[in-house]
Amino acid sequence: MKEKAGQQWEIERGAPGYPSALEDLSDPPARLYGFGNPALMSTDSLAIVGARRATPYGLACTRLFAGWSASRGITVVSGAAIGCDCAAHEAALASNGPTVAVLPCGADVNYPPSAYGLLSLLRVHAVVVSEFPWNAPPARWTFVKRNRLIAALGRALLVTEAGLPSGTFTTADFALELGRDVFAVPGSILSPESRGSNRLISQGAQPMTDVSELAGALGRETIPETFAAVSGNQILSALRATPMRPDDIARECVMDIIEVVHAITLLELKGSIKRYPDGRYGAVKVT
Amino acid sequence: MKASLTGQACVGTSTLVGTQAVPVEVQIDVACGLPAFTIVGLGDAAVLEARERVRAAIRASGYTFPNARVVVNLAPGPLRKHGTGFDLPIALALLVATGQIPAELMEQHRAVGEVALDGSVRCVPGMLAHGLASVADGHALFGPCQAADALRTLGGLRYRPLESLRSILGDRTEKAPQNRHKPAFPEPDLSDVAGHTLAKRALEIAAAGGHNLLLSGPPGSGKTMLARRLPGILPPLDDEERVESAVVHSVAGLDELPILSGSRPFRAPHHSASIAGLVGGGAPPRPGEVSLAHNGVLFLDELPEFGPSSLQTLRQPMEDGRIVLVRAEGRVSFPARFSLVGAANPCPCGYLGDPVRHCTCTHAVVTRYRNRVGGPLMDRIDLALDVERIEPELIVRMATGEDSSSVAARVRQALEVASAQGRSRNAVLSGAALIDACRMSPGVADVVSMLARSCHLSGRGVTRLLRVARTIADLDQASAVQKHHVIEAVSYRKQES
Repeated sequence: MKEKAGQQWEIERGAPGYPSALEDLSDPPARLYGFGNPALMSTDSLAIVGARRATPYGLACTRLFAGWSASRGITVVSGAAIGCDCAAHEAALASNGPTVAVLPCGADVNYPPSAYGLLSLLRVHAVVVSEFPWNAPPARWTFVKRNRLIAALGRALLVTEAGLPSGTFTTADFALELGRDVFAVPGSILSPESRGSNRLISQGAQPMTDVSELAGALGRETIPETFAAVSGNQILSALRATPMRPDDIARECVMDIIEVVHAITLLELKGSIKRYPDGRYGAVKVT
Repeated sequence: MKASLTGQACVGTSTLVGTQAVPVEVQIDVACGLPAFTIVGLGDAAVLEARERVRAAIRASGYTFPNARVVVNLAPGPLRKHGTGFDLPIALALLVATGQIPAELMEQHRAVGEVALDGSVRCVPGMLAHGLASVADGHALFGPCQAADALRTLGGLRYRPLESLRSILGDRTEKAPQNRHKPAFPEPDLSDVAGHTLAKRALEIAAAGGHNLLLSGPPGSGKTMLARRLPGILPPLDDEERVESAVVHSVAGLDELPILSGSRPFRAPHHSASIAGLVGGGAPPRPGEVSLAHNGVLFLDELPEFGPSSLQTLRQPMEDGRIVLVRAEGRVSFPARFSLVGAANPCPCGYLGDPVRHCTCTHAVVTRYRNRVGGPLMDRIDLALDVERIEPELIVRMATGEDSSSVAARVRQALEVASAQGRSRNAVLSGAALIDACRMSPGVADVVSMLARSCHLSGRGVTRLLRVARTIADLDQASAVQKHHVIEAVSYRKQES
């Protein structure tokens, strides 16, 4: 292991600190480049990936599972991409837990550019790693190579949200090849943004419906299930089933549009629902 | 009458500067000398071409063109004169100077119009402006018959329509209105639109408060259809507005009759429009789309596709209700008080969030697209909402809802509430006047500050929220803004992607 300026390091394959999980790959990278404490890559871990164009539902699920894992000391491995990946790193950092970002470019390159702030934090407080040399720009083919590292570094893979087609499928394929467990968060069968994750489930991925299920699947102590009282708001229950626009809600619940707008605004202020980028509203909390 | 070989005459006319007609005197001198026909007084090419038209028209109408030295001066000299409207006054001045028509005929009269080679009198742009100037100066006006319908609506104008140069000596008593079937200009009705209840509510608020509105939604979701129905729920133009708007249309050479019959203008320029086309320009400066939309609706479809510099030029008219064009020749100002309706796709391909079609845009592309409409313009848009694409099979089954007239009635009542409190347009309220107008109880003010915090509203955001809340309260016939008005208003804010 060669120390470079600050926390920057390079590890040859076979040197101490090289994560043994990567030896499962048919073509382990000859050298890793990164920042932070490389020992984090050899702890108990969970890879969490999801769509870039995530819905509030996907982001909420990602935060839930990533936050729980990191707070239990399970390293959250992801790719720092926009959407679910960033949400996973952010949730892990927020719960002061370990997290590893695997980049499709040099570990010192800020990609995606909008994740500049997050990557700077990750370099100091977590791990940013890449098999590509310093300053290497991202390219089409580097993303798929990167996905194989994410799959290998996680003891299991959790897909929080995926549409169709989706890049998360390559990660899931690598995980299956490596014999890792694949979990997926189910979504509405009506939502195109959940088609990919639902398909993974029908192909055999284990559905993850709450954190105690994840705890069980990862061999952690399961949390006794508590059923919080769910409020009986008609609109909220409709939105829990499927995200809708105010017009649809008014039609389905047979309400006046102005009443609907009121109710939605109040629910949004409470944080129970969120607006999707296309103007639909969906539930982001169970209670 | 036999033509004399020499003489002088003077006939009044006017020329356009912006939307104003400025009086001009056509002075003519017919003198002995080598035969010539000269026009002086800073006329453009169209003015100079009048020589050929006038010469032919005079002969064709059975009058004599003098075989003499003819000099026409257009006074005042320093003012640039444009267009073909000088044909008629030059021809009439020539006929007076050569004694072929009596001079008394032209006393207290002006003349504006183009003449054809056969002597018939044709319409020129801006006849309404010329008519208004004649009314202001107490003159009667000779002009083309085509403009008679529009000019008859101006109170106090004695208009003398001329079929041709020949008819000046004929029967000049004003004919009774030709009782031409007045064409109806039906506005498209809101009940044509299925579903979209929230968007219709937003249109109602926009109409009642004069707010600018942004509709976003995938192609085919009915954004244009909705926007097209905004003029129909606005109150009809009052007399003053009618003339203001019609004059702009007249100066631009467009049909002013729909405006004069009370319809509010609706302009939908394509996103390739140039700055000059949008805000006015050219030589002489002509009104642009913002002025043609005066007292009506300016609809900008595909708002992010408009050039950023074109959109920036909309700021001044949106602020002042006028556009001032500063040119080497001088400053020209056109009225431009309009309601802006913008329409945008949610992303460049248009299908972000569409349940059926797959969107092909990356996150970065979507963010860049949404940021194309600059902050200063977005700051002046009070209402924003998403419009969904309704499946064709649903459209047939969906309730169509109210028609325009019942919505228009509520808008009218809301405007009465506003004017009873001494307000005209809620969209221009700001600062202390806005706070006064809202008449909020301390409890409601707390709600506003709570909303501002939790929705991360900027100072401008709060201003927009209160304006919209004030209009919603007007529609509710409430003298003070209450909590539920504010909560509805906050849902029309612009949201982050």
